[in-house]
Amino acid sequence: MAEVPVTHVKISSRRPARRGRAGRKLEGLWAAAFLTPALLSLIVLRIAPTVGAVSSSLYKGFPGGIIPATFAGLHNYEFLFSDPQFKATIFRTILFNVVINPLQIGLALAVSVLLVQNIPLVGLWRGLMFVPITIPIVGSCIAWGAALNPQGPVNAFISAVGGSEQPFFTSPDQALASIIMLASWIGIGYWMLFLISGLQAIPEELYDAAKIDRAGPIQTFFYITIPMLKRPLLFVLVADTVANFVLFVPVQMLTQGGPQSSTTLLMFEAYRTTFGYGSRNTGAAQVVLLTVIMLFFVLLQFRLLRQEQEG
Amino acid sequence: MTTTSSLERAKASEEPAARPGWTAKRAVLTIALTGLVAIICLVFILPAVWILIGSFRPTQEILSTMSPLSWRIVIPYQLTLDNYTRLLFQTGFSRALLNSALVCVASVVIGLLVSAMAAYSLAVFEFRGRGFVFALIVVSFMVPFEAIAIPLAQQFTSWGLGNTLIGLILPGIGNGLAVFNLRQYFLGIPKSYREAAMLDGASEPRILFFLYLRMSTPALTNSALLIFLSQWTAFLWPLLIISDSKLQLAPVALAGTFGEHSADYGQNFAGTVLLALVPAIGMVILQRFFGQLSLTSGEK
Repeated sequence: MAEVPVTHVKISSRRPARRGRAGRKLEGLWAAAFLTPALLSLIVLRIAPTVGAVSSSLYKGFPGGIIPATFAGLHNYEFLFSDPQFKATIFRTILFNVVINPLQIGLALAVSVLLVQNIPLVGLWRGLMFVPITIPIVGSCIAWGAALNPQGPVNAFISAVGGSEQPFFTSPDQALASIIMLASWIGIGYWMLFLISGLQAIPEELYDAAKIDRAGPIQTFFYITIPMLKRPLLFVLVADTVANFVLFVPVQMLTQGGPQSSTTLLMFEAYRTTFGYGSRNTGAAQVVLLTVIMLFFVLLQFRLLRQEQEG
Repeated sequence: MTTTSSLERAKASEEPAARPGWTAKRAVLTIALTGLVAIICLVFILPAVWILIGSFRPTQEILSTMSPLSWRIVIPYQLTLDNYTRLLFQTGFSRALLNSALVCVASVVIGLLVSAMAAYSLAVFEFRGRGFVFALIVVSFMVPFEAIAIPLAQQFTSWGLGNTLIGLILPGIGNGLAVFNLRQYFLGIPKSYREAAMLDGASEPRILFFLYLRMSTPALTNSALLIFLSQWTAFLWPLLIISDSKLQLAPVALAGTFGEHSADYGQNFAGTVLLALVPAIGMVILQRFFGQLSLTSGEK
């Protein structure tokens, strides 16, 4: 114990660990020493960039970065909100999330309910649904980028069943929907994992009681399954929302925000502004806005689902 | 504990089938449900099957069998390893894979060390503000990394960490889920073990490394996989801080070859399969852990 490094003593001396006994004090030292690397990484990797982004967003920079940025208050935000293109990007990002999150969670719930039924080979089916998750998103983008190619297999299938071929990623009307499809291909199986566990944790007696009360499957679903599943549902909805607000890879790899800005989501816009156009300060303001909007939706979901639970 | 409950569950789910209510109507329902499930699964699995099979076919064959629709889309005329050999030996992809592996292993080792020390501190020591520190660590690391990756990348670059392996590794070491997971596990280890070890004169690091960590293999495995997978699939971060293609990680390298000039689907698909192999194994192990996450927070 004599080999306690000096630095640790310094750091932990701030801590009011004196509770009389020497053992207590030593424990305090160790507690601080063990926590130091994690807290340091927290400061460097999370707090510093957050503070940095907020402060950088308040400065007016000049492309190239040769002239130092000057303090400009909310100028960057005013500039962004006076730009109809940027307002459209915010609107698009919110719309995208309002559509994709309920869609993914709804479908994941439907599949989960199917996969806890008493059907043969249920383990195999669950395993198959799980396959898309194991593919890194870069691979999924390659798969769907190729599959939704206008001359690709999906169009071949559509024309085989008598439909007309679709442009998918090449059309401003379908590109965002195609990204939703690609993201849901991964997301549904992923969130399903959490929901299946939630469904399995519902006590069987509740279903037996519902049967005795002659409740139909739909009644059972809404009066037993959904209320009992509230906690995992809230968890996956919040986690899914967070994931989709920062969805980046499909836009970067497949559409670059196009065609005609139809897939420019806020995350990609912040990336492009910062690194493509070199406007660090405007980019920082966009990152701050993205985080604020995302937090707003997360809190909103907590609020809504909590209230529902109480009511 | 989990094994018994899943056993009970299995028993409970078998029961209804054995009941006398097993009628023709029920059989029809089961067949219909199974059919529906099979169709859904087919839709989900087909793109992956197409990628896997395509990775063993010449690009020309992938392109020529895409349309019009026929069985040939998944039944190859010829199988070849050509895509893999070209990808691994004629492009920089094997180097990128090696970089990825290196970054992942280093992140796991350092990340586990940092997380385990923090988790131990938050599990066994009692000090004022312990709950707050725990919540701070877990919550701030739950904020998605992508949201702060852009400002962080600028800071890393200004600190001279751009185009370095350290710059790639560092963001992987802070993982709130790993701290959470390890702490929950540590809380389940009886305090008397630690007291006994202390009576024997063991120091705190010794207790952590030789007692707690040895008893925590499942939690360590899960945490290691979480860190590993997040680094293995990372795309935005390496894209932001690496410009030297020799240091680039596999996902970015793979994305770079896609859509460039004429698409070499065969090679792209082979890269996808190689990249998916490692997570596939890891995710199968993690599958159970994920499910428990949303249910039990603070139990045990």
